[in-house]
Amino acid sequence: MGSAALERRSDAVTPDPLMGAGVRPAEARARWARLPYLGRPAGITLLLLLLAFLSLYPMVMLLYGSLHSTPPGIAGTFNLDGYAGLLTVQNLQILANTIGISLIKTVLSMALAILLAWIVARTDTPARGTLEVLITLPFFIPPILTATAWAMLGNAQVGTINLAWRWITGTDSTLVDVYSYGGVIWHMMQYSTPFIFLFVVDAFRAMDPALEESSRMSGATRWQTFWRVTFALMLPVTTSAFILSFIRGMEGFESAVFFGTPVNIKVITTQIYDLITQQAQPDYQGATSFGFAAMALMFLLLVLQSRLLRRRSFTTVTGKGYSPNVIRLGGLRWVTFAICIAFFAATVALPIGQLLLSSFFQFFGFYQLDMLTLDHYRAVWANDEFWTALGNTMLLGVTGATATMVLGGIVAYVTTRTLWFGRRLINLLAWLPWMMPGMVLGIGFLWGFATLPHAIPIYGTLWALLLAYVALGTPVAVRVTSGAYQQIARDLEECSRVHGAGWWQTLGRVLVALAWPAFAVGWVLVFFGIMRELSASILLYSPGTQVLSVVMLKMWTSNRAEDVSVIGLLMVVMVLLFRWIQLRLIKTRISTL
Amino acid sequence: MPNVALQAVSRHFAELKAVDNIDLAVSDGEFVTLLGPSGCGKTTTLRMIAGLEQNDSGSIAIGGRLVSDAATGLFVPPEQRKLGMVFQSYAIWPHMTVFDNVAYPLSVRHVPKREIAQRVTAALRLVEMERYADRPAPALSGGQQQRVAIARALVFEPEVLLLDEPLSNLDARLRTVMGEEFRALQRRLGITTIYVTHDQEEAMALSDRVVVMQRGRIHQVGTPEQVYRRPASRDVAAFFGTPNLIEAIVTASRPISNGEAGNDEHVLAVQGTNWRGQCRAAAAFGEGDKVLVVIRPEDATLIADDAVLADGQLGWRGRIVDGVFRGPRRSLAVQTDVLRFRVECPAMREMPTGDTATIVVDSQNAWAIHA
Repeated sequence: MGSAALERRSDAVTPDPLMGAGVRPAEARARWARLPYLGRPAGITLLLLLLAFLSLYPMVMLLYGSLHSTPPGIAGTFNLDGYAGLLTVQNLQILANTIGISLIKTVLSMALAILLAWIVARTDTPARGTLEVLITLPFFIPPILTATAWAMLGNAQVGTINLAWRWITGTDSTLVDVYSYGGVIWHMMQYSTPFIFLFVVDAFRAMDPALEESSRMSGATRWQTFWRVTFALMLPVTTSAFILSFIRGMEGFESAVFFGTPVNIKVITTQIYDLITQQAQPDYQGATSFGFAAMALMFLLLVLQSRLLRRRSFTTVTGKGYSPNVIRLGGLRWVTFAICIAFFAATVALPIGQLLLSSFFQFFGFYQLDMLTLDHYRAVWANDEFWTALGNTMLLGVTGATATMVLGGIVAYVTTRTLWFGRRLINLLAWLPWMMPGMVLGIGFLWGFATLPHAIPIYGTLWALLLAYVALGTPVAVRVTSGAYQQIARDLEECSRVHGAGWWQTLGRVLVALAWPAFAVGWVLVFFGIMRELSASILLYSPGTQVLSVVMLKMWTSNRAEDVSVIGLLMVVMVLLFRWIQLRLIKTRISTL
Repeated sequence: MPNVALQAVSRHFAELKAVDNIDLAVSDGEFVTLLGPSGCGKTTTLRMIAGLEQNDSGSIAIGGRLVSDAATGLFVPPEQRKLGMVFQSYAIWPHMTVFDNVAYPLSVRHVPKREIAQRVTAALRLVEMERYADRPAPALSGGQQQRVAIARALVFEPEVLLLDEPLSNLDARLRTVMGEEFRALQRRLGITTIYVTHDQEEAMALSDRVVVMQRGRIHQVGTPEQVYRRPASRDVAAFFGTPNLIEAIVTASRPISNGEAGNDEHVLAVQGTNWRGQCRAAAAFGEGDKVLVVIRPEDATLIADDAVLADGQLGWRGRIVDGVFRGPRRSLAVQTDVLRFRVECPAMREMPTGDTATIVVDSQNAWAIHA
């Protein structure tokens, strides 16, 4: 070094402790461009603190609460009573219920989802594009809606299905009773089937047809090819979907509280809920210990998942847009068409029909002409609590979804596009809420907010709900945006840098400009998530900050099913509207890209 | 003066030395190609010049201005290096029109709108794409995207043009056409150009000088003729085509001048299995040294089995075992005592397999390297 040809700048260069090497632009003209470099340590620290508050803090407070003998905010001693109380036969039964129910519903959903995905992606069934939209629709409808609807459809005495069955057969027998294990499982399946479907259908579609064709050319039958090539290649995707769906099933609250609690079928989430809200003396320590144990279980499952999937390659089934092999079914294609329509009918059309029906009659189950009424619409219209809840839900939905997407977008950028110091920790913190069921995160925040100094009044305000929603939504937001970033070739960014754009310019003019459809999709997903969130909300709301889902559950338990139907219909309209906008948005964007 | 100088530049990825202590000087207006198999460090070198990677050690200067120096921690970010670059994937931004893509380097530097319009039109005219200015970028063919990428790289009149395997995604015919266009454009504009490729024919056709890289190191730098006819090592020789490599032992060595100062060659007398003769080498060898004699298939001719060798010729007797007709020429394989010799000869000559013949090579075309 030190050749005459290379003139060294005389400025002293300050080493940057984070980068290991100082950074000094050559021209004063572009001094502002140093901002990302000099602001980086501060930005990363801020991001880490925020994420730690959203995920690590409730976890720590969960541990704290589980050892604390009295409810949050009251002086007490520390002991292990909470954990000691876990070791009972009844709790073993609850654990077995939780695992058993989730396992069965995941297996059934997986089989159904693979069938539906195969029909949509690989057969010449008519109107496959529309069918795909219809099959995935239940995923976007708040579970509390279908739960109320199915409670009215499948009630053993006055359920619409049983009334129709008796009318048709002329007997007194009962066809279905949703207040049972079967009812809980069936209600969960309505969500996990489209969830798994969304994973599997792309795997079916994105597979290089040459992989299957070469199997056929090697002498394998269609059936052998399906199992030994198609299914084997999809195994990583299906395993991943299976475990995720299983975890979600264990975290589920609505199905069990609606169909399990009345007949004493208990799962972990409903037990936690009961310990806090349904007892003369709320048992916070017991509930928190339960929550911490549940979280540990989720942690084990996630470790299992990452171990199972570590050595698997997904490369064969992602990426290029192949046109997949389509099987001609002949007359059978109307059977497959009917299967898809039946699924849509059972999960969307029937529940919405039931909500419509019960909203116009005095009492659900008694459908006579002289019982027709608009009273329920008037009652809801005049209900202040409803308006407060609607306002809160909308406010929290819009601000929560926006905040979550901004945070998720930044986290995804740092973790997928940079080599910055601390990015692994940022990624980890953003993913932590993934292993906390809403109910458990709710307790964590309950303890967390209650023990904050009084100068920070989060407890009992909308902020409490907002922070919980952001924490719960961040993994989804990170997932959606990092997926979008990964599809944008690094070249596009580097090319911008080489041709004179700074870091911020490149971010805005290339990355965000290209990824905004994903941001829009993610925003809608998070918004839906907030709108249907029940298990954390029910612990964190207080008078004045209730949200729609909480109000609906309260109305339901005080036997105002018909009013719930009215609110449910309003939510359905919103869901359909958002989903329609989302689909339009994606379609127009994809056609131009 | 937009020259480029790399001094002792290295780049490590964990244990892997992607680029290992290389020195390179590219002069103003020169077209230099970094050539090597994939993973040889050529792209990493280009990206360090661009500022997309930071070198772990050494320094890089562009136009006499130090842009990266590991010792002092100096690192100029890519946007301030005033470069143009064409990426292997072209990196055409799909959300912009052709015009917006080309205008980008100007608009991020806040050039006035009217001037942008002028310069973009001029740049598009240069690559004969002005008719496509309003097209959305994804609606272009590979060759058209290529041209847009070049227009974008040139519109700012960069100090140095960097090209990362720009032809590898095109079909064979278009590759030749675009290659010729590159060369013509570069000559016309006189812009310093660094080009990365793994295709030796491309490298020889386009460059003033070729830098042959392997495993993160530079093996040879020279004009296309030098690296092809006077390879510095077995690796370099083997990288260009499929030369015949014949083992031999040196019996004598003397220097000669080939007219160029400082570019002396040596004449060696060598002894092989059942053959002996003379060949050329870049350096002096001692008596008894083992060498490999490099003979290009196209430098060998076949004569009748009983013909007598002229002075200054090398010869091997053998039997023709294989012949492939390739249109303009014919590729033969001749089995000799020493090796299976590859010979390229005019296609018109009938060469039935099974015949015996003598392979003759002018000793000026026999080049010795270390075994």
